[in-house]
Amino acid sequence: MSVNLCLMSILLAPFAAAGLALIQQGLGRSRSAAHSMLCSLGALATAAILFVLVGSAWMGFAGGAAHRLHLAGRTIDWLGAEPLFAAGIGSSLSAGPYRALVLAYGIFAAGLAALIPINSGSDRWRLAAVAAVSALLAAILFPLFGHWVWSDGWLAQLGPLFGLPAFTDLGGAAGIQVLGGLCALSVAWILGPRQGKYTEGVAAAIPGHNIVQVLFGCMLALIGWIGLESATSILFYAAGPGQIALTLVNAVLAASSGCLAAVLTTRLRYRKPDASLSANGWIAGLVAGSAGCAQLTPVETMLIALVAGTLVTFLAETLELRLLIDDPGGAISVHLGAGLWGMLAYGLFAPGGASSAALLAQLIGAATLLGLLFPLIHISHRLLNRLIPFRVDADGDWQGMDIRELGAGAYPEFVLHADEFTPR
Amino acid sequence: MSLFGYLLMLSGWLLTLASLFLLAGVGQRLLFVAAGLAVELLGLGLITYRYRALQREAR
Repeated sequence: MSVNLCLMSILLAPFAAAGLALIQQGLGRSRSAAHSMLCSLGALATAAILFVLVGSAWMGFAGGAAHRLHLAGRTIDWLGAEPLFAAGIGSSLSAGPYRALVLAYGIFAAGLAALIPINSGSDRWRLAAVAAVSALLAAILFPLFGHWVWSDGWLAQLGPLFGLPAFTDLGGAAGIQVLGGLCALSVAWILGPRQGKYTEGVAAAIPGHNIVQVLFGCMLALIGWIGLESATSILFYAAGPGQIALTLVNAVLAASSGCLAAVLTTRLRYRKPDASLSANGWIAGLVAGSAGCAQLTPVETMLIALVAGTLVTFLAETLELRLLIDDPGGAISVHLGAGLWGMLAYGLFAPGGASSAALLAQLIGAATLLGLLFPLIHISHRLLNRLIPFRVDADGDWQGMDIRELGAGAYPEFVLHADEFTPR
Repeated sequence: MSLFGYLLMLSGWLLTLASLFLLAGVGQRLLFVAAGLAVELLGLGLITYRYRALQREAR
């Protein structure tokens, strides 16, 4: 493993967080812009602290201590058993930097997953609740799934245990994106739509307040994604410099294809390209492409991203108009929808030719996320909502989160916003 | 209804898990895992239906 390359990759990862933070505040209303950025910082901070204190122990690392369960003659590795509070990390350096690198990676990966639900809870989710959900994600949910996939857990051991290929997540499509997307869906359900979103049976368009920042966020996210995907591939799949170069090419192609697909789809459907959906297409391409970033060919990655970019435009509309889910930043369609598609597409295009065994392994991962983790996420969110109410009160909804929770607006010298939105 | 949805989702995952322990062939397992996913989606659909009904009532 190239330690320098891995460190460099991890150092790029915060750009993904910066990109997502800009995207979600740009797609929200101006009266909640400062609050949105503070929520992003708060989520990153909470996730970093909780991951180091608790999550890193349960995520563990390949070859580290783990809790094992003996079932039907098989030994199932289900949870890391490293010391809490990252104890002994200093002394472990003499044996090599791997544990420290996994810890550094986990801080940013858990932080990025924690940012995703903020996108769907924009304009109405209270800061304290954001911190609580981020803490839960970084301390329990991310380490649990991360251990199963990346630390010799049972999903990584499908081969020795059940004679199948291992579940593969080369760039965090499942462990970061789908997990964050499931949290986003749960949060959107608990919060309900923004006031004024659905009136008299019609969905109102509430446009984002700064599309320039959204598009700039997309560019930052690309840099961060390259780092995050490279770090995941080096740390957990022993990718070499050649595969990292392929990851870089694939990331650029995935973002480009996803964005162009969304531009074309919205151009055909609405007669003009939609900038916010095109930005969503860019991120959807990155998300879907990350599942096989260091192994799939550029053409395969482009195909996957083209589907993801198209899918996201239809999914965003279905969620908003048919399922009445108000997701201001499109987090559910981008991270959950495109992430699931990317995971399954890796099974279809797995290196060595398409095989039903590879697809089966990916389906088992998807079934675990949906069938085990989502109920766990949603029930724990509902319990948290009783302790720390997620939603701001009705006045705060109209007033804006900046004034309500922070006491000052993001753009105090401008006269902003009317309450009328355009019915669709 | 939501509780029933969660239970369905969990049942779908258990079906997936059971196929790994009880079956050997890839084809059989694929069929069971697909069935498990279908049960999970049914559960998700139920929770979605419940949420949508609540939103319609609230309007």
